[in-house]
Amino acid sequence: MIETQLSELAAATEARIAAVTTADELEAIRVEVLGRKGKLAEVSKDMGKLSPEQRGVVGKLLNAAKQTLENALTARKTGFDEAALAARLEREWVDLTAPAAGAGLGSLHPLTQIQAEIEDLFVSLGFTVLDGPEVETEFNNFDALNIPPDHPARDMQDTFWLSNGHLLRTHTSPVQVRGMKKLGPPLRMIAPGRVFRNEEVDASHEHTFYQLEGMMVDKDVSVAHLIYFMKTLLSAIFKRDVTVRLRPGYFPFVEPGFELDIQCLICGGTGCPVCKQSGWVELLPCGLVHPNVLRLGGIDPEVYSGFAFGLGMTRLVMMRYAIDDIRQLQGGDLRFLTQF
Amino acid sequence: MKFSYNWLAEHIDGLTVPPAEIGKLITMKTAECEGVEAHGAHFDHVVIAKVLTAEPIPGTHLSVASVDTGRYGVKQVVCGAPNCRAGMLTAYVPPGQLGVTTAKLRGVDSEGMLASAKELGISAEDEGIIEFADGEPGAAIAGCTADTIVEIDNKSLTHRPDLWGHHGMAREVAAIAGRPLKPLGVELPAGDPAVEIEIRDAKLCPRFSALRFENVTVQASPLWLQQRLESVGLNPINNIVDVTNYLMAELAQPMHAYDAAKLQGGKIIVRVAEDGEQCPALNGQTYTLDSSHLVIADAGGPVGIAGVIGGGPSAISESTTTILLEAANFHAASIRKTSTKLKLRTDASMRFEKSQDPVNTVRALARAKGLLEQVSPGIRLVGGLADLYYPLPEVAPISFDLTWMRRKLGKPDLTAAEVTGILKSIAFGVTEVDGQFTVTVPSWRATKDVSLKDDLVEEVGRMIGYGNLTPVPPLVPSVVPPLPPERAYLRGLRQLLTAQGYTEVYNYSFVNEVQAAELGLPIEDHVRVVNPIAQGQELLRTSLLPNIKRNINDNAKEYESFRLFEIGKEIHARGRELPEEIPHLAAVSFEKHRDGVANLFELKRLAGTVVPGCTVEPVEARPFEHPFRSAQVILRNEAIGRLFEFHPSLVETGRAAVLDLDLTKVQALRPAAGKYKPLRRFPTSAFDLTVPTAERELAGTVLGFIREHSGPLTLDVRYLYDYTGDKGRSMTFRITLGAADRTLTGDEVTAIRSQLLAAVAAKYQ
Ligand SMILES: [Zn+2]
Repeated sequence: MIETQLSELAAATEARIAAVTTADELEAIRVEVLGRKGKLAEVSKDMGKLSPEQRGVVGKLLNAAKQTLENALTARKTGFDEAALAARLEREWVDLTAPAAGAGLGSLHPLTQIQAEIEDLFVSLGFTVLDGPEVETEFNNFDALNIPPDHPARDMQDTFWLSNGHLLRTHTSPVQVRGMKKLGPPLRMIAPGRVFRNEEVDASHEHTFYQLEGMMVDKDVSVAHLIYFMKTLLSAIFKRDVTVRLRPGYFPFVEPGFELDIQCLICGGTGCPVCKQSGWVELLPCGLVHPNVLRLGGIDPEVYSGFAFGLGMTRLVMMRYAIDDIRQLQGGDLRFLTQF
Repeated sequence: MKFSYNWLAEHIDGLTVPPAEIGKLITMKTAECEGVEAHGAHFDHVVIAKVLTAEPIPGTHLSVASVDTGRYGVKQVVCGAPNCRAGMLTAYVPPGQLGVTTAKLRGVDSEGMLASAKELGISAEDEGIIEFADGEPGAAIAGCTADTIVEIDNKSLTHRPDLWGHHGMAREVAAIAGRPLKPLGVELPAGDPAVEIEIRDAKLCPRFSALRFENVTVQASPLWLQQRLESVGLNPINNIVDVTNYLMAELAQPMHAYDAAKLQGGKIIVRVAEDGEQCPALNGQTYTLDSSHLVIADAGGPVGIAGVIGGGPSAISESTTTILLEAANFHAASIRKTSTKLKLRTDASMRFEKSQDPVNTVRALARAKGLLEQVSPGIRLVGGLADLYYPLPEVAPISFDLTWMRRKLGKPDLTAAEVTGILKSIAFGVTEVDGQFTVTVPSWRATKDVSLKDDLVEEVGRMIGYGNLTPVPPLVPSVVPPLPPERAYLRGLRQLLTAQGYTEVYNYSFVNEVQAAELGLPIEDHVRVVNPIAQGQELLRTSLLPNIKRNINDNAKEYESFRLFEIGKEIHARGRELPEEIPHLAAVSFEKHRDGVANLFELKRLAGTVVPGCTVEPVEARPFEHPFRSAQVILRNEAIGRLFEFHPSLVETGRAAVLDLDLTKVQALRPAAGKYKPLRRFPTSAFDLTVPTAERELAGTVLGFIREHSGPLTLDVRYLYDYTGDKGRSMTFRITLGAADRTLTGDEVTAIRSQLLAAVAAKYQ
């Protein structure tokens, strides 16, 4: 009798479990049939009336029915849970092409970037980086560099003169003077910075631009050392092997003085508009430090010699990024500056 | 400076270097060549032609001429020149030369062209076609030849007085090419000085030499002379003036010819001008002089400004029959000063300011005598050379040894013979014994250019060719370079700022008066530029803000919002001393459409990032600041900068907040790295406290009050939030307590809390 009842209940419940459409209906069935006061519990209550033999048989049947129903319930529940999770995740769709909130990365000025790069290069070669003032004395800017008053070389550098009797430095070379006094021989130093020439501004001329002065003083520094050094340095800056040549150039603070040309990187020396068909591009002035300059820097030219050079950083930046209007570098226009 | 290849070649025995290569050789060994150009290539094709007939073309100013060109046959040419007439001898340019073609003009066939002196490149004369007195049709124009012009950058000749003339450059080219330089003929007949000379200051005028000539005919120079001057950029004027210019271009010795009949008294005086003295010059201008100028004077006053320009009244004219020819030497700096002061740079002053060689004056006069006899037939020298000479101190012979030269150049295989050969080729006197050199300097290199052994390194180096040196790595000690900490700091700061979304700008060190006034910066605090070329450069900035303000308004035209910064120097006047240059950071946050509060807190956040531990305290606003949005940034009780919003009336289309920090102070006040603190081992306790406050109470003040009254066990007081409701404003704080050596008991916490509540209740109600 109980056996029949039990098998009918199990069959009917299994059919109901298969038919439910929501997790709540499934839970209601679980409580109704498998709950503490559910139908199976009622059946087991009646078992007390049975004989021990019968009890054993029915007990087994009861456990089997319970196990079957629980499995069916779990299977359906897992199905409902997975569907619910999938539905939630689907609702959580996000448009990842929408912009990110907050400020993005700012840009460093291209001159800052190239300066840092070149500084690192020199520091790795044992050079000290020095800073000098924008406003200089006439003595440091000219006289100490072997350019006395009324020297025609003063015409080569249109100078901003100031109400306090001083001037805006026309080159970074005065830092040579400061460097010699500060460091003493032997020394290796560079001085990057802002320099000024009293000129009308147009696409290729600026009154404010950036140079990097370099100087090395030691015993027996020669022209052959200078050539080696400049070639090494420029190869590192341009990230390729470069060919350089020295030719005579006149700068009062060096003797001998040179113009250093680099073989045109555009045409490789065969001639193109950039190098005006010559195959060479004039890059920087350099030379052996004039004995008068060493002496004024407190260094004995009979014991020490040195080389010095001036690298035009504004020019390098313009070459690297193919900038055709020099004014943009100090124009403060973010449309330009955020490109770097 | 332009050099004629033909002219250079005349001074060199057997020059075989072709014109096309000479520019490059000069560039590599001597001075920078800016270009090489053919000049007068058409002279190989242009011929003398006889006009057979010339008929006007009705209704035009043109005529049609039939010309016998000899070589090319009889040609029909349309000509616009008024002087075109039958029987004349002129120049015929065949098609293919000077851009001339065969064409139909006004329906008339024209083959070739009859040309003016200007069209031929002989002189500036362009009134009609050129006329010849004699010559055979078909013959080349005598004296006019195809040439090559080499242009040398003047700057690279600054130190070389001798290279301002062809003879000096020829010496270089001869040495480079390994050919001998031809000697100059410089013989002058002896005779009594033709004029008395007085030099009042031998420093300003070390030498004055002169010759007098009579029976002079002033006329146009022969064509060869005209073409030569024209080819190097000098205008032919008349035979006398042309000779002086020719010698200036040849020997770098400026000369001047006076109409001797117009000089007063028998004496030439070289003296400084009297203050206010006037000198009417050749160029039609009258110059007012002072005692810083040197003049050449006669009994009547100045007849020329020494070394710069000759006088007008005594200039050569068509009626001149006697001349006094001057070749003098003047002090370079004095000429440069005068020429700068009078704003008058002439071919003469440009040469004298390079320190010319006094030995040259007599050489030039001797050459002039020969040339004048060619160009002014019948001219006669009167008397002999007048020459007053105060020789410059001699440059002592220069000594060095071969080893030293080798070390300077970095060429260990350099031989004594090479050094001797090179120095001799450019006219140095050389004695060498066992590698010990004694070198004498030629007069034209001794005025300023060469006086040290280092100067000779250049002479030897350039002639060997720097390309012939083997690059050698220097042997240097490996030491860690001493690096100033500011560099690393500024670099790190820039990286940090860009990481926070700020873009770097560079502004000029200049501001103008309007900009300074707009921000209320006292004009008198600025260092002033005394010679600005352009507007906007008259003051040096005492603040980054004027240019930053410009950046804001410029970029507001393009962007809804932006962040930018500049690191640059403020320049503060200190009387006659060098000014104080203080590095500053100015950072900007701009929003076009919001109320600006977010900008200020963004910059406050930035301040805390850039300068950890800094605080912000409201202060009275400066005129360009928002009157209620202005504060000082404080670090360790010292003001290190400002945080403020630009006054909205100064920012055209939005709100801009600024953080302006003095980076010298920031660096000086940064705490040094210390020892670490052990981590807390016992738990902490915290409670929240809400304080009713006045509407404009400062959170910072309340927080400070709580800190002060919450006792020594307070670890942290944190502002949580702010609420304004029916009962007014209140602020809520979280107070965290703890002890290093134990866990606080509930009673201890309660006691502290009660004490604090009482204090707060007494102060804020
Ligand atoms: Zn090229």
